[in-house]
Amino acid sequence: MMEEEKFELLAMDFLAGTMNEVDAKAFEELLLNNPGYKERFLVLKEGWAMMDAMESPEPSNQMDGAFYEMLNVEMEQQKKKTSNGQLPAWLTDLIKPQWAFGMLLLIVGLTLGYFLAPSVGSRPEPQDMVIAQNETEEVRQKLVLTLLDQPSANQRLQGVSEANKFQSADSIVIKALLQTLNRDADVNVRLAAIESLTNYVDNPMVRQGLVQSIPNQESPLLQITLANLMVALQEKASIAPFKQLLKEKQLDTTVKKRIEKTIESII
Amino acid sequence: MQNLTDNVLMMKVKSGDLDKLGLLYERHKRKLFGFFYNLGNNPSVSEDLVQNVFVRILKYRESYSGDGAFAAWMFQMARNVNNDHHKKISKERIFDGIAPEDVMEGSDDGLNETMDQQGDAIRLKRALTFLPDDKREILLLSKYRELKFHEIAQIVGCSEGAAKVRVHRALNDLRKIFLEMEML
Repeated sequence: MMEEEKFELLAMDFLAGTMNEVDAKAFEELLLNNPGYKERFLVLKEGWAMMDAMESPEPSNQMDGAFYEMLNVEMEQQKKKTSNGQLPAWLTDLIKPQWAFGMLLLIVGLTLGYFLAPSVGSRPEPQDMVIAQNETEEVRQKLVLTLLDQPSANQRLQGVSEANKFQSADSIVIKALLQTLNRDADVNVRLAAIESLTNYVDNPMVRQGLVQSIPNQESPLLQITLANLMVALQEKASIAPFKQLLKEKQLDTTVKKRIEKTIESII
Repeated sequence: MQNLTDNVLMMKVKSGDLDKLGLLYERHKRKLFGFFYNLGNNPSVSEDLVQNVFVRILKYRESYSGDGAFAAWMFQMARNVNNDHHKKISKERIFDGIAPEDVMEGSDDGLNETMDQQGDAIRLKRALTFLPDDKREILLLSKYRELKFHEIAQIVGCSEGAAKVRVHRALNDLRKIFLEMEML
């Protein structure tokens, strides 16, 4: 008979799949030749399977919201520290004359190397980098969507400013921004959403969304901002919604004049 | 795929690229939540504890050496966070966990299975709450296969062999309690 503890160790290694092939075969033989051990192993395996099957509920969206808010605050603080801080010690070292001369030689060397090296720029970007970048974009997308869904207007503003960091926003983010533009209770958040959407005016979905949001805006500030934007874009599709807006009795007189001017300049 | 490993991401966080913590969070939030929840904390406390782990990761990022697996470092923090929380509530005499009798049908989390399977899942959770804290903890650490036994040993402060023996015995105890409950 084998020592109690030795069997326990071997059984765990076998279950966890950390045994090499030879040892695993020897353990299987041990089980075949000793029904007592086999039974004990089956009991253990059952316990292991029970733990595997154990599930837990899904965490709520609030957990994501709290995490990204904390991360955002930390990132903001870091930015402030780096912009307000004094020159780091290594940088002050660089300013010493002998280092400056060394740096100059290095820069000359690098410049020569750059021009003499065969087309370094044409190397394909490593796939890993692209994947990592995509993953970062995915996380940022999640961050934007979570922040835009928060009850605090400040957090929603942060969400819009995060959206500005995308190299090219996808349709999910654009839809979320358009929804913010149409439904957000806070005028500042809506204004920030327009500003963010102007980065993607080449996208027909964005132009259409901006035009469709015209009748939804009650704030004079937003109405004028959209009017100015439509003039800049020379968007003819905006004429009809602006004409519809002109029929509103409560329309501010300044806004009314501005919209009439807008329609004229687009036609 | 070197750029995507947890260790590389954590080294980036350490060097100031805090954005990358979001990726680590997305990868590990469910496991950490399950760890705290199955240790007997209620869902809302479990969420707070997950948040505390990431706050600590940020706070102590400078101490991350990148030598061992990130998951082991993270679970070490999770364990400390849980211990600190329980020390605090025992001082304040607050109970915010899940008592065995509170693990009931209906309060479950929507396991979309047959009634029998649901019954087993509830009984298993109850059985887990009857285990002593140290056994429950080591079982949950071994549940997430990414931790190797030597890492579990490091987290709970014992030898690798002792960790295997402890998991083995805890599994047997859990099954025994589970079967006893079936008899009731």
